[in-house]
Amino acid sequence: MAGSIRESAFADAAALSALPAVRDRRWDALRRAARARLAPFGAAVLFAAIVVALAAPLLAPYDPYAQDLSSTLSGPSRAHLLGTDNVGRDVLSRVMWGTRVSLIAGFASVAVAALAGGLLGVIAGYAGGRVDGLVMRVMDAVLSFPPLVLALALGAVLGAGLSGVVIALGVVYTPTFARLMRGQVLSVKTRDYVEAARALGSPAWRIARQHVLPNAATPIVVQASLSVAFAILAEASLSFLGLGVQPPAASWGSMINSGRGYLQQAPWIVFGPGAALFVTVVGLNFVGDAIRDGLDPRLTR
Amino acid sequence: MGRLVAHRLLATLPVLLLVTAGVFALLHLTPGDPIDAMMAESVDATAKEALRRELGLDRSIAVQYAAWMGRLLRGDLGRSIRTGEPVIENVSRRIRPSLQLALMAMTVSLLVAFPVALASAVRHNTAVDRAGTTFALFGICMPNFLLALLLIFLFGVTLRWLPISGYVDPLEEGWAGVRSLVLPAVTLGLALAAVITRTLRSSLLDALAEDYVRTARAKGLSEWIVIRGHVLRNALIPVVTVLGLQLGTLIGGAVITEYVFALPGVGRLVVDAVFARDYPLVQGVILLIAVGFLVSNLLVDIVYGWIDPRIRVR
Repeated sequence: MAGSIRESAFADAAALSALPAVRDRRWDALRRAARARLAPFGAAVLFAAIVVALAAPLLAPYDPYAQDLSSTLSGPSRAHLLGTDNVGRDVLSRVMWGTRVSLIAGFASVAVAALAGGLLGVIAGYAGGRVDGLVMRVMDAVLSFPPLVLALALGAVLGAGLSGVVIALGVVYTPTFARLMRGQVLSVKTRDYVEAARALGSPAWRIARQHVLPNAATPIVVQASLSVAFAILAEASLSFLGLGVQPPAASWGSMINSGRGYLQQAPWIVFGPGAALFVTVVGLNFVGDAIRDGLDPRLTR
Repeated sequence: MGRLVAHRLLATLPVLLLVTAGVFALLHLTPGDPIDAMMAESVDATAKEALRRELGLDRSIAVQYAAWMGRLLRGDLGRSIRTGEPVIENVSRRIRPSLQLALMAMTVSLLVAFPVALASAVRHNTAVDRAGTTFALFGICMPNFLLALLLIFLFGVTLRWLPISGYVDPLEEGWAGVRSLVLPAVTLGLALAAVITRTLRSSLLDALAEDYVRTARAKGLSEWIVIRGHVLRNALIPVVTVLGLQLGTLIGGAVITEYVFALPGVGRLVVDAVFARDYPLVQGVILLIAVGFLVSNLLVDIVYGWIDPRIRVR
């Protein structure tokens, strides 16, 4: 079949990884050893982030929007552990509320992508022929935009705000899941038990639900867990550019952007949310790697 | 080889057509009236009608798409509604800083990645190696804009060694221009360096374990000649693969880097156009970026076939 260049780029990458020169054996062994220690750290970070996100109203020492013009740009102190910003808002409280935005954006956009991509993949793989060709060419077209640029353009159309960001990132990540699901469907479709179910007269949707989906679930979960970290980074990037979650709402990306004018007098405005973002992304990467190793050891990238 | 190129080109055409349809649809996906989004409410109705007619928004969608495609094929990407300048001129003015940034970032990444990966592989499982792999992990997880601000804080604000924003053309001003691009290039280059380091390290380790390396050592070649002549060449192919797959991330990173350092490049143009809701400009630039991206992917595919004949046979 005439594949797109992206498809063939992946096929080439796959062909290459079959060559001995590209096998990541030693790197993988090293990473596996490191992961045994790092996965618990990642899990702890993720757990802490979820707790902070859920309990932000209880945990945050101040109202994230309350301005205190008598103590602007004040450094970390006992009253304000991470200092205050240019209008006297408590940075720690805003970082805590920002955790909500980041986690919602990360998980919701991946959920949108997994659902939409999964559905499209099932349709393409199951229907085959022209439907398959059309759906997958559309996915190729989505992939022919650099991810962040596409998210920017979609954001411009959908309007700024959390829901716009979630939909934009959901669209950007959809093709990955569609391809994954389609591949699974194609490989499951020819199995004997599916033939048998079809011979017994099961309708297509039932075969899809009972036989195809359970088989395809593992790679989808693995891909989803690895995508969340990227989605969180992408939301922060969009908000940093001022095209994601809008001020005064506390998002790590927009906090970092508004603090960059005060790097000299008050670097903590940038470094508080910056550290939160970095640690969360590193932690989620560890968790994603661990889930991949645990669920499907064959899936090494 | 010729067949490979022709095949890839042909496969790209339908995707390209869908890309144009998608970019065209952007304007029409906008909730509400795009004219209202582009012009302030105070602008009087006749001016709005004029713009509507100029953009062809008063005609049916099919007619609009046909007209737009017709202009595209003649190389007319439309005009910015803010400045009235043709999109193509706007982009061509801004492509120079972007290319300079990309070139310098690529240089930085290779200058960092090769020594680090070589040191890591040659001193496998030592403290040097662990430092190298930790660098790679951090480089991959570090958000671009955060790294930019860290560098600005360290070298621009605290040490005051380098300018923190603004652009001077190195081709006209020489050294001052290079200095203005150092921090942006390091920002963009380090993330790429991390990815290259990771790939190159593991492929070097694999190549070092090959029989021909033992043979080369046995015949008394110095270690440096063994690495240069036998190991490095074989370890390079995966690096090209990774560079191809990282292209999209690199372009996204360039958008952010140009924004932070106020470089007047194509990435900055996208952000500004989106901010200004200058839809014709957004459409034109996005389309050009997508086409550039498709062409680069095509080139990477062709380069594989050229370096490694094993792939061509597939």
